[in-house]
Amino acid sequence: MDALLLRSLQNYVLDTFGSAKWQEVCCLADQPSRTYEPMLRYAPGLADRVGDIAARVLGRPVEAIWEDVGTYLVTNPDREGVRRLLRFGGVSFSDFLHSLEELPARAKLALPSLEAPEVILDEVGPDRFELRCRSHIRGIQRVLIGVVTAMADDYGALCLIETGAEDCITIAVLDTRHAMAKAFDLARPEG
Amino acid sequence: MHADLSRFRLKLDFMTLARFMPMHLLLDADGCALSFGPTLAQVLQGDAKLGARFEDLFEVRSPGGAVTIHEVLDRAGHRFRIVPRNGLVSGLRGHGQRLPGDGRILLNVTFIDLIGAIRSLSLSDADFSASELVREVLFLAEANASVTNELRALNLRLEGARVAAEEEAMTDPLTGLRNRRAVDLVLDRLCKARADFGLMHMDLDYFKAVNDTLGHAAGDFVLENVGRILREQLRAEDCAARIGGDEFVMVVAGRSDSATMMRIANRIIALIQEPMMFEGQPVRVSASIGIVRSLNCKDPVPAQMIAAADRALYAAKHAGRGRAVLQD
Repeated sequence: MDALLLRSLQNYVLDTFGSAKWQEVCCLADQPSRTYEPMLRYAPGLADRVGDIAARVLGRPVEAIWEDVGTYLVTNPDREGVRRLLRFGGVSFSDFLHSLEELPARAKLALPSLEAPEVILDEVGPDRFELRCRSHIRGIQRVLIGVVTAMADDYGALCLIETGAEDCITIAVLDTRHAMAKAFDLARPEG
Repeated sequence: MHADLSRFRLKLDFMTLARFMPMHLLLDADGCALSFGPTLAQVLQGDAKLGARFEDLFEVRSPGGAVTIHEVLDRAGHRFRIVPRNGLVSGLRGHGQRLPGDGRILLNVTFIDLIGAIRSLSLSDADFSASELVREVLFLAEANASVTNELRALNLRLEGARVAAEEEAMTDPLTGLRNRRAVDLVLDRLCKARADFGLMHMDLDYFKAVNDTLGHAAGDFVLENVGRILREQLRAEDCAARIGGDEFVMVVAGRSDSATMMRIANRIIALIQEPMMFEGQPVRVSASIGIVRSLNCKDPVPAQMIAAADRALYAAKHAGRGRAVLQD
């Protein structure tokens, strides 16, 4: 999981801030090849360490950076794959929220070696949810916030997403049809 | 088994049937259509007419030889494979059976190429029953494709890194020529193949004096220049290597007549003897070359050929330097 987060952070920093900043991060992180391979294994905790370095280099709180990485993963047109995989979660935004619990098991079908975080969703009231995520990676909770925020937008839902007590994310869905949902074809067009 | 089977019998209206089985086909006892599930109707399009005969709608692929629905049910038991005659999808797999009572026949089918069908018919969630694993299959297909793509990209990057590392391990960093390891491999290969080639062993003359009087920077400058000369004078299929301080080995592949060997060696010596300008000062060195040819060795082995070239080089030095000696 560290590898996937590191690669996402790399793509986000490269696309948003340019190669000079990413070079600076890699230099401080002792990564002379300046690239993290999503299919290789890295020491557990490395993603958080490099995230902290990126926060220093970019002069922004690390929480904001991981949230942006989550949003970037869903909204970047070059990486439509992530958004599509998440949209397979369901027809509506609340279907999608419920599917988050199944996501680690689904991801493991495609990538058995993946140490996916545990995701727990509680429906605490009508249109009110609490989302928890257990992982050795601190940043992942924030990535999830970014992902959920961007997916709400994708489904056209208006919601209030906040961090509650004990690192739990609270989601209040205010309007499920606030805007037009972005188009989604079940099968990706050929080519 | 059951005291009264009719107690367990369900009555379903067409709407419910359509919701649970959007790909069903209900036929009367003669094999004529009574109702189509809405998704199957999208597959059949204009052909989905009440009263249409099963064999006019579909070509049966399995069980072999069956044409009518009765033949299908009698031969295959409950499982069959059919292709709609309109050719919009590649194939359907399904099962069916005669219903008790009036002999009506209920078939339920599914797409064999799910992704292709979704694509060509622009199907959406609403076209599948909620219990079908459509999203799971599509999720897996796309997740699998991204993983495969990432692995392919990783393989390419690793292969690139491997080639670069191998190149680096075979190269003398100062001159950009090959190194001892590389020339040993080339010689080994040529000897094993009993190829025709010439081997030159070259040593610079007066190089130590340059190092001692003008410093190592001047010495390095001379070596870099010699490297450039050798690269320019030899062809890509030849091999020029620096194997020690001011010692070089050249392998000329594919030809070894004495005149050509001497011509190449003399040209190299002449170019090396031209003064090289280092920080405004002319630097002069020369070179001696010993040459052997593979066809003069009965049983060419790298070590013996290098030793023979070394003897020829010694003879060149002894004869007054700045010259080439070919040992036959």
